[in-house]
Amino acid sequence: MSSMSRELSTQNNSPRIPVRSSIWKQSFRQLVRNKLAMSGLAVVIVMFIACFVGPLFSPYSSNRIHMNIMNHAPNARHWLGTDALGRDVLTRVLQAGRISLTVGLASMMLSVFIGALLGAIAGYYRGIIDQIIMRIADLLLTIPSLPLLFIFGALLSEWKVPTDYRMYIVMIMLAIIGWPGLARMVRGQMLSLREREFMQAATVLGLSNHRKLFYHLLPNIVPLLIVIATLNIGGAILSESVLSFFGLGVMPPTATWGNMIDAANNMLDFQNRPWLWIPPGLSIFVTVIAINVFGDGLRDVLDPKKKR
Amino acid sequence: MSTYITKRLIYTLVILLAASLLIFCLYALTPGDFISGNIKLSPERRAELRAIYGLDQPILERYFTWMNHALQGDFGDSLAQQQPVLKLFKDYVWNSFLLAIVSTFLTWLIAVVIGVVAAYKQYSWFDTLVMIGIFAAMSIPSFFIGLFLIKILAVDLKWLPPGGMMTTGSNATGLAYFKEVIHHMALPVIVMTLLGVGSLTRYFRSNMIDVIKQDYIRTARAKGMSERKVLFTHALRNALLPAITLVGFELPALFGGSLIIEKIFNWPGIGQLYMQSFSLRDYPLLMGFTMFMAILTVIGTLLSDLLYHVADPRVKLQ
Amino acid sequence: MKTLPMKKSTLLLTSLILASALLLSACSDDQDAATTAPAPAVTTPTATDANHNSKDNPTGLYKATDLSKLPDTAKQRKDTIIVGLTDPSGAFVPYFTQSGYDGNVNNQLNASLVSTDDQGVPQPELAEKWEISADNLTYTYHLRKDLKFSDGSPLTAEDVAFTWTILHDKAYNGDTQVEPLHVKGGKAYKEGKAKSVEGIKIIDPQTVSVTLDSPNAIALVQLGGPVLSKAHYGKDYTFGHLDYIKKLYQDVVGTGPYKLEKFIPGQEVRFVANEYFYKGKPKTEHFIYKTSEGDVWQFLETGEVDYAGFSATQENIDKLKGLGFVNILPYTPSTYGYLQLNLEHEALKDKKVRQALTYGLNRQAIYVDAAQGAGSLANIPSSPISWAYTEEGINSYKFDPAKAKQLLDEAGWKAGADGIRVKDGKKLTIHFLGSKNKGTDIFIPIAKENYQDLGIDFQPEVFADFNALVSKVESKDYDLASFSTPQLIDPSDGVVQFVDGEVKGYDNPKFKELYDKALATSNIDERKAIYKEIFQLLNDDLPVIFTSYKKSVTAYNGRIQNLTVSPFSGIALSLPNWELSK
Repeated sequence: MSSMSRELSTQNNSPRIPVRSSIWKQSFRQLVRNKLAMSGLAVVIVMFIACFVGPLFSPYSSNRIHMNIMNHAPNARHWLGTDALGRDVLTRVLQAGRISLTVGLASMMLSVFIGALLGAIAGYYRGIIDQIIMRIADLLLTIPSLPLLFIFGALLSEWKVPTDYRMYIVMIMLAIIGWPGLARMVRGQMLSLREREFMQAATVLGLSNHRKLFYHLLPNIVPLLIVIATLNIGGAILSESVLSFFGLGVMPPTATWGNMIDAANNMLDFQNRPWLWIPPGLSIFVTVIAINVFGDGLRDVLDPKKKR
Repeated sequence: MSTYITKRLIYTLVILLAASLLIFCLYALTPGDFISGNIKLSPERRAELRAIYGLDQPILERYFTWMNHALQGDFGDSLAQQQPVLKLFKDYVWNSFLLAIVSTFLTWLIAVVIGVVAAYKQYSWFDTLVMIGIFAAMSIPSFFIGLFLIKILAVDLKWLPPGGMMTTGSNATGLAYFKEVIHHMALPVIVMTLLGVGSLTRYFRSNMIDVIKQDYIRTARAKGMSERKVLFTHALRNALLPAITLVGFELPALFGGSLIIEKIFNWPGIGQLYMQSFSLRDYPLLMGFTMFMAILTVIGTLLSDLLYHVADPRVKLQ
Repeated sequence: MKTLPMKKSTLLLTSLILASALLLSACSDDQDAATTAPAPAVTTPTATDANHNSKDNPTGLYKATDLSKLPDTAKQRKDTIIVGLTDPSGAFVPYFTQSGYDGNVNNQLNASLVSTDDQGVPQPELAEKWEISADNLTYTYHLRKDLKFSDGSPLTAEDVAFTWTILHDKAYNGDTQVEPLHVKGGKAYKEGKAKSVEGIKIIDPQTVSVTLDSPNAIALVQLGGPVLSKAHYGKDYTFGHLDYIKKLYQDVVGTGPYKLEKFIPGQEVRFVANEYFYKGKPKTEHFIYKTSEGDVWQFLETGEVDYAGFSATQENIDKLKGLGFVNILPYTPSTYGYLQLNLEHEALKDKKVRQALTYGLNRQAIYVDAAQGAGSLANIPSSPISWAYTEEGINSYKFDPAKAKQLLDEAGWKAGADGIRVKDGKKLTIHFLGSKNKGTDIFIPIAKENYQDLGIDFQPEVFADFNALVSKVESKDYDLASFSTPQLIDPSDGVVQFVDGEVKGYDNPKFKELYDKALATSNIDERKAIYKEIFQLLNDDLPVIFTSYKKSVTAYNGRIQNLTVSPFSGIALSLPNWELSK
């Protein structure tokens, strides 16, 4: 809920508050009535709280190594058992959640920000700026994403990035491959919006480009962006796990759900130590479902095609 | 229309040229080269080998050499495999295609059927179940489900083979060979279908819901047309039309192979070939593969735009 | 190391790359486990008889308990044995192969002139005997009588001379390095100044000799590799042009126990027994290398392969025993693991700091305990199975933080305000590079704790990609980097990196002198004594931190008889004797 209302309040800065807020309020009421979407949201919130607050109460959060309790099954002291270095799995899953959720959220915001901004600029100004931006986007879209990720992963590994900060690299990588598609879509929306009557009115009124773009055009594509952004978080969390699988993700000892599963992704752990892969696997699964369900609910109420 | 196509083709060529330069530079900038992987070569031998392979030339010069040959249809020899890149493609790409075409077909079939039925029964328990299933399918880490199914279906139950494309050492031909391949491709196809079916089902469902609400459907019903006919002739056709544009986008996926699936299921496809080449910095093969994909992507996009025009003549080509 | 039989090093590397960079870190703590490849390929398969080896492994073998559990797939095979191999690429001409996996294939297709026994001592193979001149410069190989290539054509001294000659061609692009051997006239030939290599002499069809410019004890084995048929590979040869060899990659003629039947890219390499093999036709008609990426368990458990390597963890062994249908054979690969130190960095130039880093690192926990027993500690640059191995006068650097702190104090590194040691205003930081694998996952957290305890700022960096790691090491932006050697045959292989500039900044004249001395003689007892001295010296000097030896097990279908694994040449040695019992 909190994240939602935060989104709302930022949007309310637009000058057309009275009109828009009623639409927002209406959508909001509609959303609350969607039980599936609300339960998705609830799960996401619980996940966030558990991951960001949970480890604070764990006696094992230092992640120290205990060679004498390697690979113990779940027990009273370690509710989800211990891993190959005697670290508490529950604590690590929660700490991993912090990274995975942050990566998902941040890379989404980064790519939505870049994509929306460039797309809007291209669609609004057209001409040479549009050409430059969209040709770059086309170029990036032409190259398949996994090979691109491989290259970027290797290129970025040249930077002297301590393993702890590797997550920022992952975010940047995901954002780089994420923005072109978004930019293209936003541009398309802009092109059709700028031909609409209210924009002609804005031009007649002599409003500045800057004002037209940021106060009149962008707010109109915000609902669309919110929906895409929400759905993208889930995608980014999954992408992070795939990157871990390819060894391009966040590196241990910093745990993420992806690299925790990857570490247990072998026949022996599958068979003998389900407590190593079920918790992170289930976390990804449940979180992504919840985000998608919520995003879908959002789409139902915010999608301009359906509403107006 | 023809001027449009000419314009598009020219643009496509320009983009491909730019892409080739970009890709070439990116690969060249990737730390380490084919020679540095072999740490046990003496510094002198390394220099010698780099000279033999032309790796000591400036990037642009190397690019123009490559481009010059590529324009004549010669994509060079793989450094690791020492064979023409195009021959290697021929060896591997059809295996990838086989996997992709079957799973794509299944994905579309399942997605259309489930999507249409779910849309028709919107908000029913079936629809809710489908929605949950869709989201579940979209939330599975692909590499994880692969090994998991191998463990269950191949190792424990022994229903399906754990990997590969045919029984090792088999000399089967004709129908027997065909059967063998089907048996081996079952697992990867299941996984690929499972991973792809979610988003497509959702796409068809929402398309169908939009169409059902249209006036002409109401008209058809009002005319007393049977519900079945309304659904499958009028509604379905219109719901499927926009999907035609997706066909073009599937093109690179059909030939590009799946890096993850082929790896897990030991499938002799082009995705695996690429992965192995990357860690070895086998530049000719990497360039060849990436350009191949780039070409497929632009062709796919062009195809999509044209099909879109065919599907909906109101859309102007520009 | 810079030995002639280079295929092995590429293999090790390739599998390392694949295991680390390319996911399926399945059991990637160890490349034996991550791939189903048999022991790394060497271009010199040994061909001693089975009796000889069984006395070396009398106790290690664990016999299958219940062959009835054998999966049907494996039961149905009558005259075929299948071994997994990560990724053979189809270039099956020895010396020209770029991938180590192709090297494995080459081992079955080609026998060598000289091979080595389980301690690395040279053994006759295609050459029944050899002579070394008194000045240690001329090596004369006497070929066996009636040797034939797999196409039935005779093998003569011509072929050997041809093989050695094209290695000196300027267009030769393989990774076999003959230059360090300094064959007389080799350089002149390469530069096009001579029509032939002066040092290579055909004495009679059965005798060929090679003369070097300076003595080199490893030349015998290095030049004693596989022989290329001149009639097959040399008919189009002109100086400076070797491209035509590419056309023959799958049209091969060899001297090994098997012939190439069919190569199916990405799937299988099929072999059929070679009736012209000098020791007689192998007992099993068909042999297949199955390309097998992915978790090795799935293929062994379903009977898709007959043979697989695992790291020797208790858990792996228990599970293998539980299968019931596999024999389990332990073996130690001939390699050692080490942490390369950047000796050009001020702090690490100090021997005391290097020793402190060794004392202060809980190697027991990292390489033995956390590896569940699949490793033991290394303190010298030699594998424990080598004839030169010794523990005499070797410091074992037992984990001792107090001693480490004391050494750091002595070296002038005093604890600073924030607990990190400082000298001349500079903090003691260790920037570690590792490639992504299970071993690194274990190393980093433990090393971090250990070194923080000593007052060292430990900064780990992990690379997904082996090439990226190497290029980072080459750029010298590191303090510590984790590596493992390729297959070591001669004891000099294990120490060559300290003389040839591989380990930059190590310059000890005493060591260099000993190194040359050990190569100047071919007498094993003399060499043994010199290597002992070398090992003691390096054990104290620590140009790198020696870490561990790996322990592996081989699991194979209990029906296979006469199987042995050589630490140097893997299965190539015993493969001709393998037989499927009913």
